[in-house]
Parts: sequence; structure tokens; C-alpha cells
Amino acid sequence: MSLVGIIANPASGKDIRRLVAFGSVFGNQEKVRIVRRVLLGLVAVGVERICYMPDYFGIVERALDHIKVPATIFPANFSLKGSQEDSVRAARIMREKGATCIVTIGGDGTNRAVVKGSGAAPILPISTGTNNVFPSMVEGTIAGLAAGLIAMKRVPLDESTFLSTKLEVLVNGNVVDLALVDVVVCDDLFVGSRAVWDMDKVRQIFLNQAQPDSIGLSSIGGLIHPINAEEPLSLCLELGDGGRPVTAPVAPGIIKQVFIKGQRIMQMGDEIAVSVVPSILALDGEREVEIRPGQQVAIRLEKDGPVVVDVKQTMTAAMKNGSLLR
Amino acid sequence: MSLTNEQMIGMYANMKKIRMFEEQVAELFAAGKIPGFVHLYVGEEAVATGVCANLREDDYITSTHRGHGHLISKGGDIKLMMAELLGKKTGYCKGKGGSMHIADLDLGILGANGIVGGGPPLASGAALASQYQGKDLVTVCFFGDGAANQGTTHEAMNLATCWKLPVVFVNENNMYGISSCTLNSMCVADIADRAAAYDMPGVVVDGNDVVAVYEAASEALRQAREGEGPSLIECKTYRHKGHFEGDPCVYRNEEELQEWKAKDPVLRFEKKLLDMQVLAREKIDEIKDSIEKDLAKAVSFAEESPFPDPSEIIEDVYTP
Repeated sequence: MSLVGIIANPASGKDIRRLVAFGSVFGNQEKVRIVRRVLLGLVAVGVERICYMPDYFGIVERALDHIKVPATIFPANFSLKGSQEDSVRAARIMREKGATCIVTIGGDGTNRAVVKGSGAAPILPISTGTNNVFPSMVEGTIAGLAAGLIAMKRVPLDESTFLSTKLEVLVNGNVVDLALVDVVVCDDLFVGSRAVWDMDKVRQIFLNQAQPDSIGLSSIGGLIHPINAEEPLSLCLELGDGGRPVTAPVAPGIIKQVFIKGQRIMQMGDEIAVSVVPSILALDGEREVEIRPGQQVAIRLEKDGPVVVDVKQTMTAAMKNGSLLR
Repeated sequence: MSLTNEQMIGMYANMKKIRMFEEQVAELFAAGKIPGFVHLYVGEEAVATGVCANLREDDYITSTHRGHGHLISKGGDIKLMMAELLGKKTGYCKGKGGSMHIADLDLGILGANGIVGGGPPLASGAALASQYQGKDLVTVCFFGDGAANQGTTHEAMNLATCWKLPVVFVNENNMYGISSCTLNSMCVADIADRAAAYDMPGVVVDGNDVVAVYEAASEALRQAREGEGPSLIECKTYRHKGHFEGDPCVYRNEEELQEWKAKDPVLRFEKKLLDMQVLAREKIDEIKDSIEKDLAKAVSFAEESPFPDPSEIIEDVYTP
């Protein structure tokens, strides 16, 4: 029987970027409404079982309040920690139960956590916020239909998904974390409020995904050398005075001129050393890893990132094979 | 915005001072030396410290029933605080107010407050006064999750945005209003979500991370001071102690308490500063010794001070 996972992050869309930039506040009530539409889309194409991440707000439970969903819906069973570890554990449980698609509702950080547990299960990421690159601003109903079509195997995976690459963080030779969009090296000592907005502290940027129409720091690379998530390439930028100027939208409503001293294309398996130690590494937009004095740190481009659902391609495939013409 | 080593060590010392002050108060309360109630700030030190590290002496704060941390962070004198707690004539309110009424107008401390939700209207009022007088002062309103559900808070936030007042609302969400868990008393899980309804920025920060609080407060206060209006910062935190000293805490479980103690803001910052070689073990001992000495002096001062005379009972009140 088909199984789809839903991971809606109750904490996404509320960080300091609403203060230091002009990001939208994304309340949980809106996530409830998105999930409601996702659920209706899923069952419309015949999904029979839905496993969801429980959370302190009860996003999925509240979404079910006003609708009838003819499917078996159950929570991933684990003890909540109220941290990103919840998303990792929920994704792992969904994978183990055989989910054939996981819908995520959150930002880049949410998806980074999900990927740590989701394995080969395709991910359909819905953006909740204004500073995301990995997830898309896609309508919930359509996302539900697309995830359902994938889960029910009514569209071929090779026409509807792509395999993303990923960046790995190596500390003293060991992989300690990953990023889907970017790794930003900040001349700083603290994770603090997590977001990165002070460009004076940014020394290096590793980009796994960068488009000219991206928002956030990946836009800098997108304006120099665009890279798709599925391309076996990454871009490493060195920032500093005297370099080539680039004017980029580094955060919602914040357009800044930054200076690129050097750039290098990374091929699959390439490793580049982090140039500032001690420092803080921001992964997919959130300060996350503290690099302590004396540590050897490098970033490596690796294949085997997540399988990502392209909603437009999925619906196009459904149109071509007539999946919804009944 | 970068914190200097001196600022970081200063914030650590302030958190440590609050913690040690509160532990001393707990001891004195258990010994029966403090009349009335005390509501201790243990576990929430990063909030007051991170916010007040951005304030000038002439800026204002309004506080709560759990106010000792706010007062210390704004420069309150622990000798006068301790004397007030012990009900002595030399205390901030001449020994007649106790923990929940301490104020120091010279330091911009507009008062602890026994009324839940009593602070926000005072804060917006103080901010209106600053704006009217053309002063570049800001007011910080500390309030708890219980106060977030009071009508006074709504009124204060509404007017603050309407008039673009220089006020920053700092919510200390410690998950419990007395014994009511916020999950049972609010339809939103994040108080910051409500900011959108007032058309002000609202953010959630880790209230047990003093740097996270500092960063958010720094930006919010800059905006308020520059006339860009109010903000709401929700600091997720937890009180290690009960609502009041003596509270048996039957409404929460040990596992939850231990999870939050593992995120102790003072120990966490201490470890980080040690790891980053900003602070040495010897300096920590030095800070601790210095606070111990100051506390001992404060306790002696309080214990040796006289009680107010019964004849003074109707002095210093508006309506005798």
C-alpha cells in the first residue's frame, strides 16, 4: 500500500531574518492550511496511508479538523525534542516504513535535516518563507497531487525527479554534517541567532545550488556561475576587499555589494579547506558548526544527495500519460 | 556587530551574578528570612543579560514578578535589592514593597510588577514620553507567556505600532503561566506569530543562548532608537525553579526539567567561552569569588539593617 510522509516544521519561518531583513512571518496556522490542501491532493490520487511528524503545535492534527480524508493517517512514533532532530527522526521512520515520497513544509534548514534521515525516498519540498533555495513556493494542492502521483507510481521517477548533489563538512577527516544549498564560512565564534546577514563576517561560500534568481547568499554565485542542484559541480567563492564586485540579494529586501577575491569550480569528490579557523559554518542559511582552534576543516562535493520531486515535471508527466484524465 | 572579548566576559559575569544572587535568595527564603513570595529567575539569565547588554543607562525597562535578573542586568544594586527582599528600611522600597515592586528610576528601572501584564502599558507609556520629548531613548518591556494573553499586552502593542513607539517587547516564554502550560492556554505555539497582527517584526530566538538574544535585541533596539518602531522578540526559555519558591511543580515532569537543565544558559556560555579560549578557568574563579564577596556584603547589609517602623506604614503610598 502506498505511503506518503509529511514533515511540517512548526519552527520554520520565524527566525531573526524577520528583524534583520524583510522576511515574512510564516505562522503555523498557514502551515495547517497548506497541509490540509496537501492531504486533499494526496487522497485525490488514491494515496492510502500517510505518516506525519508529530509536533508541539499539532499542524497535521489541526489540518484534519475540517476535512475528511479517506486514508489511514498516523504519526511517526518518537519522543519529540523540539529541535531539528525531530525532522531527522521522523524522516528515518518514514523511510523505514517504506514511504515512497516525503512532503516537507519548511525552509532550507528543515530539508537539510530531513535528508539526514530520508535515504532514497523522494522529497517534495514546499517553501515556508522568503529566504529559501532548496524548497519551492508551490501550492499545497498541487504538491499533494504530485506527491501522490509519485507515491502511487503513476508517473515515472526519471521524468519527475532529479538527484541532487550535496556538500559534506569534514572536520579532522570525518564527515560531521552536510548542506544542500551552501556552506558559508563566517569569521565568528557563535551560532547565536543562527542566520547570516553581516556580510563583513563572510569569508568563503561553497555553493551546491546557485541561480541568478535565487535569494540569499547563493544568489552571489548565481550571478557569477549558475549551478543546478543536480549538476556534478559546486562553486567555491573567496570574499574580501579588493575583489570583483557583485551586487546580490543576500536576504529578503537586502541587496548588497560584495567582493569576490577568488572563485573555483569543484568537481565531484573535490575537497577545499576552510580558510578561517576558528570560525562558524552556516549550513543552508543557519550558523550550525563551530570550528574550534586547531581543527582541520574541509568541504567536499559528493553525489547521493536527496531525490527531489520537480512538481512541474511531475504534473507534465501526468499530463502526458493521462494519469488525471479519468 | 561583533562582540568583543570584554563584552562576552561581561555578559558571562552578569549571568553568573544573577544565578548566584538567586541561589542566595533561595537559601534565605528557606531559612525564613524573606517575607512574602519570591519568583526566581534561575534558568532564564541569558534573556535579561543579552537584552540589557545593548541598553544605555538612561534607557528604560519594565519588569515582571520574576524581575531580579532584569534589575541586576540594568545595573540594580544588589545590596538594596537584598535589603528590600528582607523587608528592611534600607531597601529599594524602604522594605515595604518586596521582590515584586523594586524600582530604580535613576537607572531607568520602571519597576518589577506583581500584576501579570502590568508592564506593557507602562513600557509603551514610557516610550511615548521619550518620543514626545524628542529623546533617543528606548524602552524594553520584559513580559512572560502568561502576560502575553492579557488584554493590557494587546493594547500596549497595538498603540506602540500605531505610534511607532521606541519600545521592544521581550517575551520570556518559559512555557508555564504559574501552572498552566502554554500548549493549553494559547492557540498559537509561538507568541512571535502574534506580531504580524500588530504589523511589527516578530522573531523567535533561543532564550538560553545569550548571544542569540544579544543579536536579536541589538537589531530590534537599533530600529526602535532610529524611529523605525517596535518589535517583538520571543525568547524560548525555562525556569529551573517553581513558579515561586516552595512550588511543588506537580504540573511538569522531571524529564522535561532535566532536558532544560542540560541547556543551562550559564554553563552553556561558560563552556563555549572556554572552548573558544575567550575565558580561562582562573578568570571564572576570579569572577565567582568577586560575586561571592559582593553577595556576602549585600546579605550582611540587609541583615544588619533595621525594619521600617510601623509608624511609616502609610507613608510613600498614593492613597493612604
